[in-house]
Amino acid sequence: MNLNKLNIIWRNVTTQKNVILTPTPIQKCFLVRKSTTNKDSSSSSSSSSSSSDSDEDVKTKTKIVKAKTVPPKNNEETMTKLNSLLQQLIKNDTVAKTSELKLARPKDKRVPKEQREARRVETNEKKLEKAVGEVAKDIGGDTKQTESELLTKLLSPIESKESSKSLNEIMKGMKIDREPKSVQKSKAEQVRNILQNVQTKRQDGVRTQPRARQSYQPRSRPPTSIVVEKIDLFGAKPLGIFTNKDLKETNLKTWQKLYEKELKLAITHPPANYFQEMILWTEQGKLWKFPIDNEQGLEAEKNVDFSKHIFLEEHLESWCPPKGPIRHFMELVCVGLSKNPYLTVEAKIEHIEWFKNYFEEKKKLLKEVGAIPTDGRKADQNKQIE
Amino acid sequence: MKLSITTFKRSQTYLQSSCSHLWRGLNSIGNEEKIEIPKRIHRSPTDILRCLETTISRDPTAAHYKYHDDPYLIPMSNVGKRTFAMAQEAGRKAAHWVRKENAELFNHLEADPVIPSFLPKLVYTEESKVTEDDLIKVIANCQVQDAQIVYKLLKNQGNKISADLQQALLELVCYYNCSDGIAEEFIEERWFRQSSNLKERQRKTWKDSSFAEELFQTISNPTAETYCTIIQGMNKYFQVDRAWKLFEEAQNKGFVLTTDTYNSVIRVANFLKESFDMRWTFIVNTLDDMNKAGVKPNLGTLNSVLHVLSTMGTSRTVKDYILNILSEFKSLGIEPSLGTWYYVLVTYCKERGMVSTILHDIMNQLENKEQQIKDISDTNFFVTAMDICRNHLNDADLAKRVDKLLHVGSNYDLIGDSYKESIYYRHYFILMSTSIPLEEFMSNIYDVLVPNIYVPEPGVMSEILKQIEVNAAVDYIPKLWTDMTTFDHTDRESLVEAVLNIMVDDVSPKKDTTLTESFAAIAWDIYVKVENQNIKKINKINLTGDLLGKVMLMLLKNDDFDKACKIMDKLDRDHQTVAGVPKIEVLELFIDHCIERKMPTRAIICIEYCSDSGFPQCGVLASKLNEKLTLDEDHLNRLSRIVGDMKLSSKVAEEVH
Repeated sequence: MNLNKLNIIWRNVTTQKNVILTPTPIQKCFLVRKSTTNKDSSSSSSSSSSSSDSDEDVKTKTKIVKAKTVPPKNNEETMTKLNSLLQQLIKNDTVAKTSELKLARPKDKRVPKEQREARRVETNEKKLEKAVGEVAKDIGGDTKQTESELLTKLLSPIESKESSKSLNEIMKGMKIDREPKSVQKSKAEQVRNILQNVQTKRQDGVRTQPRARQSYQPRSRPPTSIVVEKIDLFGAKPLGIFTNKDLKETNLKTWQKLYEKELKLAITHPPANYFQEMILWTEQGKLWKFPIDNEQGLEAEKNVDFSKHIFLEEHLESWCPPKGPIRHFMELVCVGLSKNPYLTVEAKIEHIEWFKNYFEEKKKLLKEVGAIPTDGRKADQNKQIE
Repeated sequence: MKLSITTFKRSQTYLQSSCSHLWRGLNSIGNEEKIEIPKRIHRSPTDILRCLETTISRDPTAAHYKYHDDPYLIPMSNVGKRTFAMAQEAGRKAAHWVRKENAELFNHLEADPVIPSFLPKLVYTEESKVTEDDLIKVIANCQVQDAQIVYKLLKNQGNKISADLQQALLELVCYYNCSDGIAEEFIEERWFRQSSNLKERQRKTWKDSSFAEELFQTISNPTAETYCTIIQGMNKYFQVDRAWKLFEEAQNKGFVLTTDTYNSVIRVANFLKESFDMRWTFIVNTLDDMNKAGVKPNLGTLNSVLHVLSTMGTSRTVKDYILNILSEFKSLGIEPSLGTWYYVLVTYCKERGMVSTILHDIMNQLENKEQQIKDISDTNFFVTAMDICRNHLNDADLAKRVDKLLHVGSNYDLIGDSYKESIYYRHYFILMSTSIPLEEFMSNIYDVLVPNIYVPEPGVMSEILKQIEVNAAVDYIPKLWTDMTTFDHTDRESLVEAVLNIMVDDVSPKKDTTLTESFAAIAWDIYVKVENQNIKKINKINLTGDLLGKVMLMLLKNDDFDKACKIMDKLDRDHQTVAGVPKIEVLELFIDHCIERKMPTRAIICIEYCSDSGFPQCGVLASKLNEKLTLDEDHLNRLSRIVGDMKLSSKVAEEVH
């Protein structure tokens, strides 16, 4: 509340500030000017921009008018300089105008609350002092100290702000007399006149200035005015619509899946460390899954027991002779196959089948050699056993 | 105290265990201990990684992970960060393009098991042979366009498509409005996408008479699901009128609609009903319908209702409705999500309405709890809460609580995207800079978060500068200027002027000269930057006399006479382009320095400039120069040409006198 008041008052005061705060430079420049009236034109009729920043005094205005009427002694150089400056001013002026294209806009008829309040204020300074005092009291501690700090702060910053107007802003407020007569004026006069215009403009535009600021102002509210009011979020009376006890939630399957995916993407952000990146890659299927399993992706093999891979002799029983070099050879083949991790069981059996067919083809020769015991002998042996 | 207790406890347990050992040794046969083997806990492939990941917290002194590969090029400014990340993304996209253009080169199966995401994408054309399995696959992969092509191919080849598959396809095309979104892989793009589509979402984007509608027509005997799908799709993309017609049609047919369908209808109540009262009656009626039909509402229902309420002005009744709805759903056992609280905040804390402190109560509910995403609006919570802390309540303590909640567990994931994140920090910074002591702000917040987590925007920077001005904490200026340089803020006229003004206005007695030195360096830096601006730049900083004067002042304070001379030359030379003039005090100081260094020529140039600029003091200055230095004939001539014979001579005469 106090801060708010302070703000309003401060805004009002700023309009009068120039007069209130900076009487000395005016006087100073005035004195100097008096002492140099009859000198060379360029110096005599001039005033510095910095000092004329604060020119508001009626007296100075009349002085300026006088200075205007005095025809300055121009030499060629100053003439050309002036011309070029003027041309530039005109150029800049038009630029400023084009950029300042104002479109019709509905007028805001409502008078902001703060302005209404501000109008009621009669003596700004007093209010200001009072408000500062209150603030200082609220803050506590060394009240005198804070009070003086606040006051100096309030009264100081405007100068720097005004001097920081950009060229364009200055140009905006300018009116240049485009008649040739004006060329007669000295450079200093030009500058002074321009600044004068700016100043009067600014005075006229006082009403618009705080409005522009207000658009920003009401957003930040003072913390002191807030009293935390407890709201019981679930304490209100329920509407009592859902009386049906037998409620069932139904949803579309694919739709639900897509929604969940969207939710997941909403919280998937660029990975912030290597682990997060690994998680991402794992989910995209680009990395081995933890814990590392070298059978990952071998889904077909999951249903095959390891014994089928290792004990392959059973596939020999139906055709292979029980002993002899072929049996020996085939057993070695089985050992080799049982240790091969790259072949499926079917492929291993296929291998064995191939050898079976091969030996079948060469059966005659093998019999002659004696690698396969002949049927006769085999029968004899059987008989002997019986 | 605590320590001693624990040590005591420990010794006690030690004692106990040694006792029990002894005991077991004594009657080892009698007492049989039962060993319980814990059940195996099935872990997902990423569980170990997630566990490891939680041990790493964000290191604010390091650049983000995506930038650290190239330390030399680590970006500092907001624009730089965005450009860097998008360049990476563009590289990824280029790789995707190469793979697409030269698909035949990428068919070698290097990896075993095969990694499908490395294989070139299948392209479906008119001639492709497709089966129903292909359709199932493309639907599972959310390839919307491909699904449409495959469906058409299957139809043309005379295949029969099962009703389930048709339904799944309809849901897919309705959800995505018949077009593909941003691919899943492009995370950066999603992160940096401006949330500007938020506004766009409020207008009709549904594609009329598109594939989805065609498919809806072809389904000969539509079921409740068919209707639900098309209604949800139309409502999602704001084809509200037709969705409403279909909704009525479905109800007339006696279908039991899904919860999501009711939710979607409630969500667009703003378009269906004009006045606030009518909207509220509509909501109540719809909820009543759900009750009658035996459809259980869910979180989506709650959030849809609150979404509508949040657009219904600032009146007291709306706020009461919100509380009623909250307790109604609470009694149904539906827990609100962050999105729910977002809508509550939006309703209670309007810019024009009364100030509400409901955020306190919400924070009491949420404090120290890890949140999961349950609704798509959940990501709006943090940025809105911080906005309210700053603009509505202006409460720094509350802001700290919100920030603490953001850093609980993996809550940071709910920040949304880069745009929301930066707005969040913008509010946080401005609020904190104005409400806590500046030293605390700079050391606890600024130094921690800048530049790796957040880069302040120019607006925030000017707010910080304002605080520095208020606190007269000029020591921070060199640091801030360095930061501003790295963040590309030095082309902002207002910021440059603010820095310069703070330095000029600083009148506190200097203990050490380093600050003066760095001030001079900053001033010179400003001058060089402004002087070397690109001619084609749009918002150029104007080189004003005032600015040059301030730069010169800072240089002179540091005895940088040579550089000050350069500024003086600039002032004198570019009289035509430099607008305005410096303060006379600065020029006086310059002449003093000239006198000190016995450089009358420079001083005379300065006096000439003074007189050209119309300073009345130039006479005084000239006589001062004449006084302090013995000038030769040439200099005297020049001086008298500037200020006039009489004055000089009178002064000289006076002196002689």
